[in-house]
Parts: sequence; structure tokens; C-alpha cells
Amino acid sequence: MGAAMSEPILVMNKVGKAYSAAVPILRDVSFSQAPGEFVAVVGPSGCGKTTMLRCIAALMQPDQGEVLHLGQQFGDPPPWLSIVFQDYNRSLFPWLSVRQNVGFGLRKIDRRERDERVEQALSAVNLTHAADLYPWQLSGGMQQRCALARSIVVRPQLLLLDEPFASVDAQTRIDLQDMVMDICKKMSLSTLLVTHDIDEAVFMADKVVVLSTRPAQVVEQIEIDLPHPRDQLTTKESPEFLRLRHRVYTLVRHQAQKSAAAHTEREDQ
Amino acid sequence: MNANRRHIASLAWQAGTIVLLLTVWQWAALTYPAPYLPALENIATGFLRLWHGDLLFSAIVPSMTRLAIGFVIAVVVGSVAGLTLGYLRNLDPWVRPVFEYLRFIPAVAILPAALLLFGPTDTMRIFVIAFGSVFPVLLAATDGARRVEPLLLEVARVERLSIPERLFRVILPASLPSIFAGVRIALSIALVMMVISELIAADNGLGFYILRNQRLFQTANVYAGVLAIGTIGLALTLALLAVEKRVLAWHRGWRGLPGADG
Repeated sequence: MGAAMSEPILVMNKVGKAYSAAVPILRDVSFSQAPGEFVAVVGPSGCGKTTMLRCIAALMQPDQGEVLHLGQQFGDPPPWLSIVFQDYNRSLFPWLSVRQNVGFGLRKIDRRERDERVEQALSAVNLTHAADLYPWQLSGGMQQRCALARSIVVRPQLLLLDEPFASVDAQTRIDLQDMVMDICKKMSLSTLLVTHDIDEAVFMADKVVVLSTRPAQVVEQIEIDLPHPRDQLTTKESPEFLRLRHRVYTLVRHQAQKSAAAHTEREDQ
Repeated sequence: MNANRRHIASLAWQAGTIVLLLTVWQWAALTYPAPYLPALENIATGFLRLWHGDLLFSAIVPSMTRLAIGFVIAVVVGSVAGLTLGYLRNLDPWVRPVFEYLRFIPAVAILPAALLLFGPTDTMRIFVIAFGSVFPVLLAATDGARRVEPLLLEVARVERLSIPERLFRVILPASLPSIFAGVRIALSIALVMMVISELIAADNGLGFYILRNQRLFQTANVYAGVLAIGTIGLALTLALLAVEKRVLAWHRGWRGLPGADG
């Protein structure tokens, strides 16, 4: 990958965030992402994954530590960053058609070029046939593909995915995973996926970052050296996949149990 | 089939009610001739005379012009100010009490003051129309802007929209359903304020036409003027609904299928 040589696209350096002194969300979260790398962040539910993602996107500033995009700190989302949110039916503009939603972020460029790029993005997510419908006329999976097209049309370098497949059915999720992996490789995007689905994380990522329970800390970073292209059947049946999945699963379950024990303790007091 | 028949039946009832009312009026007018009860044909003649020639330009046109200017000012000022206030919540504690108070002032009460301020001019009448109808729009726009889906504002931030772009590309369209509700109320208030403002120190307009004919005991013309105002109100409301239906087509579809899956 040669990533070790070039500057990381994203560095999290001892990032801490608390909504109040009593409720710390993130503590000393540190990891880095090389250009072109696909990183998945997993952790027990409610551990602060979304808060972390909002800090990374500069939609929120951390209380401690720093978030560096190509070595710089940002007060607003950097121009090369895009996000796909979990809630497609809240994140798409209901008054714009699919085509207009996709073109939303393309301003100040020549109209012909804009139309061309929108068409490209639509065909990349296989939505050309639905371009003139409103997003609320589409199925969940199609809406999420529309959100994906809106994110890639601006040609970002870093794509953040906030549990993007959590609200769709199992078959659609699998199709979306393949589509996202394919697009990210083709565009050599750096992708950061936040998810609670361990199979998904191991299957898609080059590196899995496991978070602890609240306040979230990095428990471990696991390199996923499964060969590309990955296949829903053969990759998931390979001993290497099962070994990695076992390891990540054990770590996450351990965290979840600690969290449950802490709850019981609190109730006992 | 059944629905169709019910629709026709309902139309028949509506038409029947109107015919009945007119019949009762005409019967009363013929049976008890009195100045305040003119016959229908006289009212109709007065009504038709309003829409062409001199009367068109001394009654209808001045009224409609004032109404249009005052109403458009109210809609524009109310929308822009309301959206800004709704979006910049920091201003809220400063501005809110003032508006909350102002909206309880019946617009009619401002008329004498407006007369002192502007004299018996068109400016005074337009001011009164705009003042009366701005508040429903303002409050609806503030409310709409405050309830914009926060995730859409985050999308706007990620797409690096400037503040004016956020206002016009996200907050305005998201607030349009709310604004239209305010605009419909504003229209009826604007109509009331138009008539009232023309009852004082006026020399043209529909309000003046009604008042003058009342003084001349031309009661048929008085009723003709009243009917003209009702007709204008109805026509404007229908026009507004047609615009709303076009502009908010997405909204009806969207609300009809919340979280549509399939």
C-alpha cells in the first residue's frame, strides 16, 4: 500500500470529549488512517461511536487532544470530507429529486460538468432509472444509495460512513457493502466506517479499531490482511476471516460484559 | 362510482342552499320594499358595473394595488425576518418578547397612529395592510426555521454552504409548508385591513365605494361592493391554494408516505 511513507489522511491524537464532567464520552482516543485505507470502528452500542464521528467530521470540537486532517486542525468540515449518515430518510432533502439531491454539493462549477458528474455518480450506485423521483418514493436501500452518490459526487478523499447499513434489510445490506467496497477501491478513497456489526467491519476493512465502553478508548487495532477483492461467500468462509472475526468478537463482547457488570454494580449501590 | 354520486349530491346541496338564500332575499325584497333590502337585479347590476369602465379604475384597481403591495411586503419581510430569527436562535430572547407583544395589537388599533404618521395617503394604507398581515407569516416562518431537521443542517455544513446559501437552499424550502400556512391567514387579514384603511379619509378604493354609496342611500351598490370584496377574497385564496399545490407537491407526497419502504 506504501501508506507508511505518505502523511496520514486522518490522525486522532488523544481525543477526549465530555458533555459534562460527569458524562465523559471519549477518552484518549488515538489512531491514524493512511490514505486509501479502509478503517472500521466497532464497539459496544452506546459507547460514543457517533460522537467520535462528529468530532472527526469537525461538526463538533473535541475537549482534549486533536483531530488532524492531513496534518491540519479544522473548525468546520474539511472540503475533501463527505459523510453518509445512518438515517437516510432524514438526511436527504425531501423537496429535491434524487438527481438534485446528488448534485446538491456541486456548486460553482460549470453546468455541463456538473450534470456529467451527477450522471456518473448515479450510475455508480445504479440509480440512473430513479433520478427524477423524490427520495421518499424510493426504498430504504435506494435512498441510502442516493446518499452515497451525493457523498462521492464531490470526489472526496475521506468518506465517513455512520452505520450506513443499519436501517436496511439483510439482503440490501450485503448489496450495499459490496457496492461501497467497490466504489471505495475504484476511487482509492480513504473510508472510515462506524458500525456495530462485527462481520461487516472485518469483511470490509483493512483495519478494525475496537473501542471500549463509555468513555470510549481504543482497546485494540487489528490489521485485516484478507486479500482483495473480497467475496461475501469465499472471504467469509476463509479460516483467516473466521480467526479475525473471533478475535474482534471476543474483544467487543468482553467490553459489553464489563459495561453490563458496571451497570449491575451501580444498581447494587 | 359511489364516491362520484356522493360528490354530485353534495354539489347539488350546495347549489340548492345558495338558490334558497337568494330566493328568500328576493322574496323579502319584493314583499317588504325597504332601502336596506334592494332587489337582486339591482345588486347584480351594481356588481357588474364595478368590473369595467370608471368604477374599475376608481374602486377595484386602487384596492387591489394596495392589497398586492402591502401583502407582498408582509410575505417577504415576514419570511426573511422569521427565517433569520428562527435560524439564529441567539437573537430569540431579545426579539421574541417584542413580537409576542406586537402580535396582540389588533392591526385596526394602529390605524389612527398610521394616519398621523403618513397622512391620508396610499403609504398609510399599504403600511396598515402590511402591518396587519406580517405577523402570521413572521411567526410561521420562525417556527418553520426552528423545526428544520438538524441532520439537514449538518449536511449543509459538510457541503460547506455559506449562511445565505443555508437560508435559501435548506431553511427556506424546509419551512415553506409552515410559511404557506401563515400566508393563508395573512391574506384574510390583509383583505380586512384593505377595506378598513379605505373607510378613513379615502377618495377611491372599494372601501370608499361602499361608504359613499351608503351615504347616498344606494344600498344595492353597497351590497355590490361587499360581494366584490368577497369575490376578490375567494379568487385570491383559490389562486394561493393553486400556487401552494404546485410548490408543495413534494410535501404532500412526503407526508403521505412517512419512511416509505417498498
